[in-house]
Amino acid sequence: MPRLLSGDDIRRRPEASEMLDSLLATGGLVLLRDSVEWEGRGLLKALIKKSALRGEQVHVLGCEVSEEEFREGLGSDVNSRLVYHDLFRDPLNWSQPGEAAPEGPLKALRSMCRRTDRGSVTIALDSLSWLLCHIPCVTLCQALHALSQRNVDPGDNPLIEQVRVLGLLHEELHGPGPVGAVSSLAHTEVTLSGKMDQTSASILCRRPQQRATYQTWWFSILPDFSLDLHEGLPLHSELHRDPHTTQVDPASHLTFNLHLSKKEREAKDSLTLPFQFSSEKQQALLHPVPGQTTGRIFYEPDAFDDVDQEDPDDDLDI
Amino acid sequence: MAAAATCGAGTLSSECVASEAGQSRTSSFQRRGKASGAPGGGPRLLSIAGTRPSVRNGQLLVSTGLPALDQLLGGGLAVGTLLLIEEDKYNIYSPLLFKYFLAEGIVNGHTLLVASAKENPANILQELPAPLLDDNGKKELEDVHSAKPPEADANMKIAWRYQLQPRMEQVGPVLSSRFGHYYDVSRRIPQELLESSNWHGFFLPEHTPPGLKGEPCFLSCGYMKLLQFFQNIIYTEGFDGANPQKKQKNILRIGIQNLGSPLWGDDICCKENSDNHHRLTKFLYILRGLLRSSLSACIITMPAQLVQNKAITTRVRNLSDTVVGLESFIGSERETNPLYKDYHGLIHIRKIPRLNNLTCDESDVKDLAFKLKRKLFTIERLHLPPDLSDTVGRSSRQDLAPSTTLLGTGCSGMTGGKKRLDF
Repeated sequence: MPRLLSGDDIRRRPEASEMLDSLLATGGLVLLRDSVEWEGRGLLKALIKKSALRGEQVHVLGCEVSEEEFREGLGSDVNSRLVYHDLFRDPLNWSQPGEAAPEGPLKALRSMCRRTDRGSVTIALDSLSWLLCHIPCVTLCQALHALSQRNVDPGDNPLIEQVRVLGLLHEELHGPGPVGAVSSLAHTEVTLSGKMDQTSASILCRRPQQRATYQTWWFSILPDFSLDLHEGLPLHSELHRDPHTTQVDPASHLTFNLHLSKKEREAKDSLTLPFQFSSEKQQALLHPVPGQTTGRIFYEPDAFDDVDQEDPDDDLDI
Repeated sequence: MAAAATCGAGTLSSECVASEAGQSRTSSFQRRGKASGAPGGGPRLLSIAGTRPSVRNGQLLVSTGLPALDQLLGGGLAVGTLLLIEEDKYNIYSPLLFKYFLAEGIVNGHTLLVASAKENPANILQELPAPLLDDNGKKELEDVHSAKPPEADANMKIAWRYQLQPRMEQVGPVLSSRFGHYYDVSRRIPQELLESSNWHGFFLPEHTPPGLKGEPCFLSCGYMKLLQFFQNIIYTEGFDGANPQKKQKNILRIGIQNLGSPLWGDDICCKENSDNHHRLTKFLYILRGLLRSSLSACIITMPAQLVQNKAITTRVRNLSDTVVGLESFIGSERETNPLYKDYHGLIHIRKIPRLNNLTCDESDVKDLAFKLKRKLFTIERLHLPPDLSDTVGRSSRQDLAPSTTLLGTGCSGMTGGKKRLDF
C-alpha cells in the first residue's frame, strides 16, 4: 500500500537520500555489520534500490534467502535491473555433475565480475558470513579485493567504470580475526546498532587522499525500502508504547508529599528563615536606632609617618 | 657480498661504504696515496645524495621523509636496516608515512622498490605528496631540468691527466642537498619527477599464475616470490657490491605495504593458531639478511592490531630494527576527550636499534602525538591543557596513563607500569 508523504517526510527525505548517497559515493567494498537484534538486510535492500534507480546494474549473490523472498518489496523497476545469482537452492553445486563441492561459492564469486554489463556495477553479497563459513578467510579476502578493484585481472571486463561491493556481515557469528580482516578491506564500514526500537548506523568512510569521516545516523526502514531519518536519539515521548504494558504512577508510594494543602502552603510562606536577609534586617542596618552606639575607627598619626606636603613632581618642567 | 665481507654481519657503516666505493673508481677527481684507500690510511666518507653519517656511531643514515620522525629515531634510518610501521586501526595514517619514505627517495634520486598486494605500485607512486621546496630547492630543480645534454660540453677543455678518467654523471634529479624534506599532502608529486626516477614495482596479483589463486601453493609462495624479486634487483643493479653500479653510488629504498595481511596469503590475521605462523618470521629473517649486505633501507607497514596471536607480533618486532606504532583516535572514546582535541592520534616508538654500540639514541620525549593538518603530517610532544576546572574528571586523566607508553631501558621492550605524565 503506497503511503502518502506528509510534510514531515518531505522535510526529511533529502537527508535520507544524502545518507544513501554518502554510502554509495565511492567504489570498493561497503561493509554492513549487523547483529541478531539489529539486522542489516533491510539497509542492504535500500542501497540496492538506490543503486538500481540510479541506472546501475545490480548483481546479488544470494546465499541466505530465496530469490522470491529477496525480490519481495522491491518495485518492478528495481527488479528489472537486478540479476540474482542463486546459491540458496544449491550452495555446493551438487546439481552440476563432476563439479568440486567447495568450488561452488568461490567460482560464483569470481565469475560475477565477468558477467556484468558496461557502466557502473553494484554487487551485493547476502551474506559474507555464509561465504566465510564455506570459504577460507584468506581466499575470501583476496576474492573480495579482486572483485572490488576495477580491472585487476586481465580477464575482467574493461567496460566497467566502477565496481561497488555491498557485503552483509553478521559479526556475532565470527571471531575478531575474520571480522577484522574483512573490515580492513572495506572503503566504507557501517555498523548497525540501536536503542528503543530505533536503528542507528555508525558510518566510517575511508576515502583515498581525504580524512576519514565518522558519523552516526538514526533511521527506520519503510516497507518500500526507503529510509526515514530521525534527528538523533529519539525521546521517550516519540516512541510507540506497547499497549499491553501497564503504566505505573511514579508518584505513588512516596515517603514525602509532592502536593501541599492550602494550610500547609500558608504555614510554609509565613515561616522566616534564620539566615535569610529579610526586610527587617535591611531596615535595621539602614536606619540605626539613635541610642545605639556604632563602631568607629580612631587614627593617631605615628611619628615615623612620612607626611610630605611637597609635590614630588614639582621639579619637573611639564 | 663485498660489503658483508668488509663489515661483517653488522649494518653498513659509512666507512664500510667508502671502502667498497674505493675499489670501483667512481670519482673523476681522486687523490693518490693514503687517502684513496691505501692500506695505511683510513677510507674517506663516500657522499651519496640524501644520506649522512650518524654523529653517534658513524652509521650511514637516510631520511624517513619526516624530519620529526628522523629526530626521534636518532637522526634517520640506518642503511641496511628495517623500519616497521604498525598500522593504525583503520589504516588511515600509516600509508602517509609509507608515502613520505618513498617521496624522499624520489627527491634524492634513490632507486625505489615498492611491493604491495593491495594497490598497484604505479598507483601508489602517483599519489605521493609533493615536496615543499624553498627558493634554493626550486633553483636546483630548474637547474636539473634545464641542464644541457652532455654532448654540448664535449669540447670542454680539462687537464690532460683527467681526460682518461670516467666522467661523473648525475643520477636522477636531486632536488636538494638537504637531509630530509617537508611534503605537502594536499598536492601530488610532479609528473616529471616520477618519470625521471628509477623504480621497480611488485604487485602480488600480477606475479601469481591465474590457475593458482586461492590454492595452498599460492598462499605459501607470495613471500617467496617477493624475496626472489628483491634478490634479483639487489644483485642486477649492484646494490650488494657484487655487480658494481655503473653510475654514482645509490641507495635502494624498499617499501612493503600491508605485510601479513590476508591479501599476502597469510592467515595470521584470521586465526589465533595459524597454520603457517612461521612464514612471516622466515620472510623477515631472510629479508634482513639481504638488507644487511646491500646499500638499502626498508620500510614495512603491518596491520599489527589484526594479528590474533600476540606472540607473532612480538617475534616480528624482534626481527625489525626500528618499530613505530600508530594509534588513531578515530572511532574511539579519545576522539571526543578534551585532553586530545588538538591531535589525531598517538605515536609510539616501540624500538630503536643499537648499531655498532651497546646503547641507542633514546629520545628524551616519551609522549608523542600526531596531527594531520591540511598540508602537513606533524609529530608533536603531547601537551595536555591546564587542569583549571573540574570539567576534566579524574577518570579522563587516568585514561591517559596507558596510552603514554614509555621506552624501555633496552629500547626494544615497553615498560609495563602505568606511569603518570610529569608536568
